[in-house]
Amino acid sequence: MNAQTSFSSKEIQAASSDQYLNGLLKQCQGQAVALQDSETATWLQQVRDHASSSLAQSSMPTKRDEEWRFTDLSPLMQHDFQADGEASVAPSTVEGLTLPEASTTRLVFVNGVYSHQLSDVTDLPKGVYVGNLSCMSAAHTYRLQNYLAQQEGSEELFTALNTASLTDAAVIWAAPNQIVETPIHLLFLSVPGETPTLSQPRALVVAHTSASLEVIEQYTSLSESENRPNTGELPARQGELPARPYLTNAVTEIWAEENAQVTHTRVQQESQQGFHIGKSAITQSRDSRYTCNAISFGARLSRHNLDVFCHGSQSDTNLNGLTVIRGEQLSDTHSAIAYTTPHCTSDQLHKCIIDDRAHAVFNGKVFVPKAAQLTNAAQLNRNLLLSPKAHVNTKPQLQITADNVQCSHGATVSQLEADELFYLRSRGLNESDARNLLIDAFAAEMLQRIPTPSLRKTLSASLREGRGQKAEGRG
Amino acid sequence: MTATTAKNLIDQPYKYGFVTDVESDTIPKGLNEDVIRMISAKKNEPEFMLDFRLKAYRQWQKMNEPNWFHASYSPIDYQDISYYSAPKNNDSEKKQSLDEVDPALLETFEKLGLPLSEQKRLSNVAVDAVFDSVSIATTFKEKLAKEGVIFCSISEALQEYPEIVKKYLGSVVPVGDNFFAALNSAVFTDGSFVYVPKGVTCPMELSTYFRINSGETGQFERTLIVAEDSSHVSYLEGCTAPMYDTNQLHAAVVELVALDDAEIKYSTTQNWFAGDENGKGGIYNFVTKRGKCQGKNSKISWTQVETGSAITLKYPSCVLVGDNSVGEFYSIALTNNMQQADTGTKMVHIGKNTRSKIISKGISAGNSTNSYRGLVKMGPKAHGARNYSQCDSMLIGDNAEANTFPYIQVDNDTTKVEHEASTSKIGEDQLFYFAQRGISEEDAVSMMVSGFCQEVFNQLPMEFASEADKLLSLKLENSVG
Repeated sequence: MNAQTSFSSKEIQAASSDQYLNGLLKQCQGQAVALQDSETATWLQQVRDHASSSLAQSSMPTKRDEEWRFTDLSPLMQHDFQADGEASVAPSTVEGLTLPEASTTRLVFVNGVYSHQLSDVTDLPKGVYVGNLSCMSAAHTYRLQNYLAQQEGSEELFTALNTASLTDAAVIWAAPNQIVETPIHLLFLSVPGETPTLSQPRALVVAHTSASLEVIEQYTSLSESENRPNTGELPARQGELPARPYLTNAVTEIWAEENAQVTHTRVQQESQQGFHIGKSAITQSRDSRYTCNAISFGARLSRHNLDVFCHGSQSDTNLNGLTVIRGEQLSDTHSAIAYTTPHCTSDQLHKCIIDDRAHAVFNGKVFVPKAAQLTNAAQLNRNLLLSPKAHVNTKPQLQITADNVQCSHGATVSQLEADELFYLRSRGLNESDARNLLIDAFAAEMLQRIPTPSLRKTLSASLREGRGQKAEGRG
Repeated sequence: MTATTAKNLIDQPYKYGFVTDVESDTIPKGLNEDVIRMISAKKNEPEFMLDFRLKAYRQWQKMNEPNWFHASYSPIDYQDISYYSAPKNNDSEKKQSLDEVDPALLETFEKLGLPLSEQKRLSNVAVDAVFDSVSIATTFKEKLAKEGVIFCSISEALQEYPEIVKKYLGSVVPVGDNFFAALNSAVFTDGSFVYVPKGVTCPMELSTYFRINSGETGQFERTLIVAEDSSHVSYLEGCTAPMYDTNQLHAAVVELVALDDAEIKYSTTQNWFAGDENGKGGIYNFVTKRGKCQGKNSKISWTQVETGSAITLKYPSCVLVGDNSVGEFYSIALTNNMQQADTGTKMVHIGKNTRSKIISKGISAGNSTNSYRGLVKMGPKAHGARNYSQCDSMLIGDNAEANTFPYIQVDNDTTKVEHEASTSKIGEDQLFYFAQRGISEEDAVSMMVSGFCQEVFNQLPMEFASEADKLLSLKLENSVG
């Protein structure tokens, strides 16, 4: 439908896009260095080759593709990203980014490369492995074969691009019945260099039968973090740092085996010049529980693909999302939950706060085939528009063939209520305080669901300060 | 309806599958510029119409058949369709009374089991009956003319009121709007035309009854309704077709124009032949319907009851240009057996304080697929615009499919959009409650479906509400248990 949508400017891109993709692919292959251990090297090489060959037939998505209809990748394609990720970072600069709860369960990657110096995994229970792939022994890596790059949807373009350069990955492995009390912090830092940098971090989380763990996956940029929190203003406008664009193309695969529980918090705070494309692929088995808290504050253009595959009955899925954007930012969330078995439940709430000229996109799919009787799936997308030029595209989507199900979805787009503002002002709050209180309350519902107190605190502080700086800029 | 008549109906799922034996004037199959010139010449059309058709045809040739919808069908050979078929010797003597019209129309109401008293009331409805490609009779013309309302077939309108047709035809759905609309613009043969002058409230319901009869024709009708300032009109359309085991294409275009303070209410009961239970035959119903609220405070309301057709692709839309204009969409889409429906609406808010409301009820039974696809677009200047959408689906049997694809696009911060959707089945405990009171499962389901659709039935003109209600229970026979 809606044939009148204009595609004209995209068609010009289409011709060069393949070439662009080839360029990216070359970067990936250049980066993929053979590992020491030959046996591991062989199967990894196969995984990479498979991804490369699937890419050979594809081309960069344009707005003509239904999945990318509202997200224009042409700003990204103006840059020629190089995958030469080497950068050294002093431990002191990272201190502000670590979480006290996870001080000894932390892996740090700089531009997608594992940093032994910055990581700390000294305090782990037996039966739990947290580390990087290239440091694992062959006996262990062998066991990853059934998990690494084996999720459905791996042929999706950006996922395949990541896989094509797969040499290292953050690995979290919990043996059966292991309960990991402390959250595990995966920190992916970007340090943009002179040339636009391409980094492709990868993470694999496997929670075996009845294991339980909590992962915090955080993407941020260092130049930005030094001036934290992010200001929401474009440096170009402020005449600050020269624009240093970079691209993070991240893939995280999570396997929750029978009765396992995984709590996944994903924080995306890339710099205002950063491009972020991320994939979270989750496979759930019987009786497993998975919760995702996806927070998206940063990046000039970000896209989060959240794919949950429920392959066992009684699985429970909770997806929470909060997007807060301003300036010229574009944030796109595409989630999909696919069921294959009966008696599963899912609950999704995604909220967006959109200011200035920012643009939010939400597409939430729920697939309930005939086999998935007695599914109970709820989905809600709420959008708060704060400025006349802000815009939002939302498309909740249900595809149902089973008859004995309860599925619902909803979407709302609105502004701050005039009545609510008036109420607060009649109690003596000035306009900006009243507005901020209401915006905070809107965001708080999502932030409160993050289980790690210190992270919750820094995130709400960064929200407030981002807004504060904006107000100063306006004043 | 007694139990015995209900029983009788079970074995006859589609009652209108007969072919009326009339001599017809059908042109050979195929489509090219000569065919278009021939159609235009046969209808003795003014020059601008031929240009309009040829322009559409040339654009159509450059277009690709769309494939984004959630339905599949074998490709249509556009050269294997006859684009003109008309009953012979009918144009000269137009029938003036409903009683003289094609008996199929009267029979249809009888077969729906409507009591005679209700049928009598239909005599207060002006009817334009379209048989294959040609309008055969229009009733109550004089009575309407007294009020200044023009209600006739579009070919008559082209002869008698060419200026009005020229002004508005293609103003809402341009010739190149989409593949099927372009095809229609090139080859349409007839349809209805309504013009309500300033300040007039149309004294009766206007209605068009569409009937496909020939086996190898496509039906391409075109309806244009223009409501001048402060006028009101309510329009209904109904459709049936005989049972053939080949698929037939129905690609209609409907354009509505509402000027300042005008109101148009457009209701459809669509019951084209849906194919047999194995999905053989049936009508492809690919229709473009669009209303433009051009004036301030104007209102367009679409109500549809979609029960027929093998495949339905239909998105009655409202373009809300005038400030404070209102668009409404009430829909019931019922699919059974192998039917596929991808239907919904588009509400495009352009003017200030425009409002729209969408109530969609989808019921899918058997092996059918029923999708709601809707767009709510709030333009950058649609300040204070408001939308409320609700789409509920009901599944009967575990082979049926229900999908919703709502698109919401908001480009300004003073609008409010709400969308809700739910999917469920008829609960075991609800059925148990009915069984407890001695009501059979089939009757219980039909009562619950009718309750589920009540919101939409309330929007239909009275005679048609009861007709539609019965139509639904008829269609659902045998789909339970």
